[in-house]
Amino acid sequence: MRLSDLSRSTSQIRYMSVATERADKVQQQLATNRRIQRASDDPAGAAMAMQYRKNITFEAQMRRNLENGTAFLNVTESAMDSATDLLQRARELTVQGATGTLGPNEKKNIVSELNQIIQQLGQVANTNFGGAYIFSGHQTQTPAYNVTGNPPVSATWQGDSGQRIRQISAQASVAVNVIGDDVFGTMFDDLIALRDNLNANAPTTTINSALADIDHALDRVLNARADVGARINRFEATTNRSLDADTNLQELRASVEDIDITDTIIQFTAAQNALEAALGAIGRTSNMTLLNFLR
Amino acid sequence: MGLSVGLDTAVKALRAHQLAVDVASHNIANAQTPGFSRQRVLLRPIGLDGSDHFSRDNLLGRAGYGVDAKDVNRIRDTFLDFQARQGMSSRGQYQAFSAPLSNAEVVFNDPSDDGMSSLLGKFWSAWHDVVNEPESLPARTALIHASTTFTTRVKAAYDQISQQRLDLNQTVSSIGAQINSRATEIAGLNLQIKQVELNGDMANDLRDRRDLILDELSTLGNISYAEDDTGSMSVYLGTHELVFGTSARTVNTVDDLANPGMVKLQFAIDNDDVNVSNGQLKGILDARDVALPALLDKVNNFATGIMNSVNSLHQTGFGLNGSTGLAFFTGTDASNMALNSVIAGSPQSIATGAAANQPGDPSIALAIANLQQSTNMLAGLGANNLTVNEALSAGNVASGITLGTGLQPGMYHLVANGPNVELHYGSAAGPLIGTATLADINPPGGTISFMNGANTVASISMTVSGAYTAATQLADLTTAGNNTLQVEASASTYYGNIVSVLGADVNRAKGLEDSSGLLVDHLDTLRQSVSGVNIDEEVTNLNASQHAYNAAAKVITVIDEMLDTLINRTGVG
Repeated sequence: MRLSDLSRSTSQIRYMSVATERADKVQQQLATNRRIQRASDDPAGAAMAMQYRKNITFEAQMRRNLENGTAFLNVTESAMDSATDLLQRARELTVQGATGTLGPNEKKNIVSELNQIIQQLGQVANTNFGGAYIFSGHQTQTPAYNVTGNPPVSATWQGDSGQRIRQISAQASVAVNVIGDDVFGTMFDDLIALRDNLNANAPTTTINSALADIDHALDRVLNARADVGARINRFEATTNRSLDADTNLQELRASVEDIDITDTIIQFTAAQNALEAALGAIGRTSNMTLLNFLR
Repeated sequence: MGLSVGLDTAVKALRAHQLAVDVASHNIANAQTPGFSRQRVLLRPIGLDGSDHFSRDNLLGRAGYGVDAKDVNRIRDTFLDFQARQGMSSRGQYQAFSAPLSNAEVVFNDPSDDGMSSLLGKFWSAWHDVVNEPESLPARTALIHASTTFTTRVKAAYDQISQQRLDLNQTVSSIGAQINSRATEIAGLNLQIKQVELNGDMANDLRDRRDLILDELSTLGNISYAEDDTGSMSVYLGTHELVFGTSARTVNTVDDLANPGMVKLQFAIDNDDVNVSNGQLKGILDARDVALPALLDKVNNFATGIMNSVNSLHQTGFGLNGSTGLAFFTGTDASNMALNSVIAGSPQSIATGAAANQPGDPSIALAIANLQQSTNMLAGLGANNLTVNEALSAGNVASGITLGTGLQPGMYHLVANGPNVELHYGSAAGPLIGTATLADINPPGGTISFMNGANTVASISMTVSGAYTAATQLADLTTAGNNTLQVEASASTYYGNIVSVLGADVNRAKGLEDSSGLLVDHLDTLRQSVSGVNIDEEVTNLNASQHAYNAAAKVITVIDEMLDTLINRTGVG
């Protein structure tokens, strides 16, 4: 075909720009490590990548929820541990108080320690975590118990049975709180009555009967603690499952969205060679004219 | 009759080759001029014909009277012009169409770490954080930020796409101005060409200029043209006359009353709309009036779906300060979607609990956070659907509707076409998705399947009490109220669909742009192969003319010597 000078220079410019464009595209992929820069690069792949990204974000939020819930459960667990220790001490004091051979000073000491235990149990029941009273149900801005008097004369339940829910997976939402009233029940009233009975030199049998109340309170705390422990385990298992899902999703996302480094570097080398070849060919042929051969 | 004739012949030859050198020089000068057609001197021997005052037995007469070099022709193939201009119209159309779509794609910036889908994800995450600590002001404030960022982005996307439309609208006016200036120039050139050619001269360069303007005009819209025997070119834009002889019809930019805020082009002479099927104007109008509005509708659906779903839950809840009945978002669609200013000013007003004075109750917040997983976010659009277990007539019940997984979310319309029912996307006039060939269904029931080729895209299971004829089915399914189906999706799926469908559109538009560009390049190379200047060729011609010129000069010397012999030497001795 007859070629004019104008179409030769136009096509040379076109060859250069095609070769440059190809090299540039691959270079951009290498620089960003991404095969899909825009949805139009691969619409079907982009839809999949967005779905994976959405699921990755969702799983990350679930782990955030789990972490937050685990912290809440851990605080609850340690409160249960303190309550257990305090109740066991109260039980020892009760056994001592029931021996009947106590002097007035010894009895006074027992009573004073019991008062402290009641105060401390009040503090445990009113544990505050992140600005919320953890045993108050939904009444998180109100202490679970209003312990009045020093020495304490009454402890009034102020919470409700509201659940604090965490979404821990797409399917499951789990309450992280235990309700103060369920755990402590009549514990405060029982301990205050026991102290009053000790003060009033009540008969040994009366004091002894308080042991059953304390055991009952211990049972309830231990049950709640076991329940919290089980939930902590479940949260840990769910976190691990979410981490597995995350690894899986990240791999899927990368397989759709990211470049295959080896493959792309080969492509880049090829594009670079093509560009060099195009430039070389243009450089050689553009000097070729009949004028070079005329006198 | 004598030696002077030979001198005359040689002088003609000198003139002819001088002209050939001039033409080669003109060609070389314009080797890189766009639209220039190479020119050639048409050399013709002056023979015996037309020279009857010389006797036929005259030896000189038999040799001829030299060369005639009056005409300088341009070398051009008008059929290639025609093909190239058609290609240019297509390229103009696809270029103009793909650019705004490609810009719209950037607006969404997905998939990426900071695209709109990531902001949507952060919005839902912020709700989960509030669920975790409903009494926490920092968590609530973070939700306010996440919500504001999200609504700002949705509104920005809407505004940027709307701005694209306005920019395209501006371009329509500017195309009107370009059409006018080109039409006027062609009319002017028609006059000049006519005048030059009436004198018997060739208006080569004027014709080149006119052809170049026709190229430009064909990029703007589809044109047709015809040259009359005076050399005037009549031009039609679409089907309407644009240039007639030496007069140009102008187009006006007027407000399009049927398309608020937008303009259209009208021929000044008769107020007919400028109607083109190709070219930049067509591409721009397709983007401005079809593609971008459809995209805006989708963004609106997305925004409205989220607003309605979140608001309807939020209004049932209570804030830390006892507030209730508050809409979380205000606005009616993406253009004015915003966080309720009451909430923006008071994080306590975010409704998290199901009752007043329950600061630790996250149940409403949890329900809102879980909307993320909801697959019917768009249910709030108030569609009038054919639903599952819908009684149609006489105990016939559509007991189940199955939609193919590949169907994009949105409304589908059932439209009668002869004895068949068609499923169209978007509206009754939207794209055809599948066709059901109806047949009588007998108790207990059967299935109506919508097919696209061999694939079932949707199906409706029927439970029937008696023979349910094809005719009754047709009537039932296309009755208002039963003639729409809605494919619902979660907000993120719907959004993902917006982005991937747009991506596919951009991809296709760019593909068409590239292929039409290649075609134009190819046709242009062909045109250039006929009309373009090749310098090597011109230099060769230049050399040839130079030789011929030198030879003609030699002829004069020879004749001069002959005359000298005749005058000074003959009969002297």
